[in-house]
Amino acid sequence: MTTTESPQKHKILVVDDEPDLEPLMLQRMRRYIRRGVYEFVFAHDGVEALEALDADESIDMVLSDINMPKMDGLTLLERIPDVAPDIRAVIISAYGDMKNIRIAMNRGAFDFVTKPVDFDDLKFTIDRTLQHIREWKEALSARDKLVVLQNELNVASMMQQSILPNKFARNDSYKLFGTMQPARNVGGDFFDVIGLSDEKVGLAIADVSGKGVPAALFMMSSRTLLKGAAMRAGGPGEALSEVNDVLNEDNDACMFVTMIYAVYDPATGVLTYADGGHDPPLVVHADGSSTQMPVTDGLALGVLPGFDYLQHSYELLPGDTVVLYTDGVTEAINAEEEQLGLTRLREAFVSNPPGDAEDAGHRVIDLVNDFAGDVPQFDDTTCLVLRREN
Amino acid sequence: MEISAERESGAVIAKAAGRIDSSNSREFHSGLEAVLADDDPAVVLNFEDISYISSAGMRVILMTAKSLQSKGVKLVLCSMNDSIREVFKISGFDKIIPIHGSQSEALTAVSA
Repeated sequence: MTTTESPQKHKILVVDDEPDLEPLMLQRMRRYIRRGVYEFVFAHDGVEALEALDADESIDMVLSDINMPKMDGLTLLERIPDVAPDIRAVIISAYGDMKNIRIAMNRGAFDFVTKPVDFDDLKFTIDRTLQHIREWKEALSARDKLVVLQNELNVASMMQQSILPNKFARNDSYKLFGTMQPARNVGGDFFDVIGLSDEKVGLAIADVSGKGVPAALFMMSSRTLLKGAAMRAGGPGEALSEVNDVLNEDNDACMFVTMIYAVYDPATGVLTYADGGHDPPLVVHADGSSTQMPVTDGLALGVLPGFDYLQHSYELLPGDTVVLYTDGVTEAINAEEEQLGLTRLREAFVSNPPGDAEDAGHRVIDLVNDFAGDVPQFDDTTCLVLRREN
Repeated sequence: MEISAERESGAVIAKAAGRIDSSNSREFHSGLEAVLADDDPAVVLNFEDISYISSAGMRVILMTAKSLQSKGVKLVLCSMNDSIREVFKISGFDKIIPIHGSQSEALTAVSA
């Protein structure tokens, strides 16, 4: 669909059984025909008109008489949508024949002109009809683009959901739970749980820059790279350094991902973690108070090749719950355009410590939803929870 | 998204306003590219009127920083609100792009 200003030739199908309309039309409209504004094609009854519409998709509009042999103009009006749904028709009726004009309009005619034809009025009516058709087609094309966009978002959303763990191993000494609530336009959050040697478990939470399919693709490769690096690397710092170096190769689009990668050792209760420019995890203690895990001064992955990701350790006490989350939680917006913020997140657990990992995860999501109300959120809301059991 | 630019002490000072997120980050990028001239020796991006920046906006900052760096042009940021400053700190972007409290500090830094 072109929307350029340059004159575009419009093809008009004129349907009339009387032989004198054709030469008259060509004569009176000759200036516009010569300038390439209009092109006229002719049919002599409704049947011929339908054949012409079926054979020639470039016809923009129909100008039709009512009384004709084989198939009259009113029947033609009913049949046009079957062969050419985007065509608009203008009816030529006898002066004062309100009954047929009413029928024609009810059957979807866009407008009518009366005999004897006033060619200035006809020119005006044709232009108005063509203008309407142009706008209609633009609206259709915009709708098609929206449908394509929506399909892309659905693909991105499926990719995102399909990689998230949805079953969490049950274990006496610790419990895990993760959940993600996608934003309408699909962000690039993910979390992962990676089984390692010696009963250790790797935990990752990440947020890819941008939205939609590009974010989903970058998320897929980040997640795969991390899985590989996690199994090979000596520790979280080394794993993030390796993922970062690969993501920096051929990254002209400057995509990046913020990530926390942590390894939990159930034998000692120690969580070793590295910070890829992500919000620091929150440790909620058994009494409901909380501590932000010290950040290791990290940098988002994909930004700077060769960056050395450091790692830190944090010893969990029995009953401690680690909440890894993305900024969709703390940057959730309410109707007053306030952000939820870290303080509200911490307050949610004060004097009301989480019962278990799943409870903690649900409470984070509920907190966001209660805070946001009806306000649509821009970002995915994701959290991954680890609780050291008593 | 309108981006204003003025030139002072050998630097171009660019300013945008409002939220920068995935709905307008492209516009932000093209607007920014449009106001930067090839011979500007330094760029100050003033965040005074920016209320929020999402990761899509951060990506534009990163692309701009990398492209300016490859041309040997200095880029500094200034006058951020606390929450944006925090975003730059957490993501580590403040390690690769200098951030100053005020425009005059930023101008002093680029002219040094």
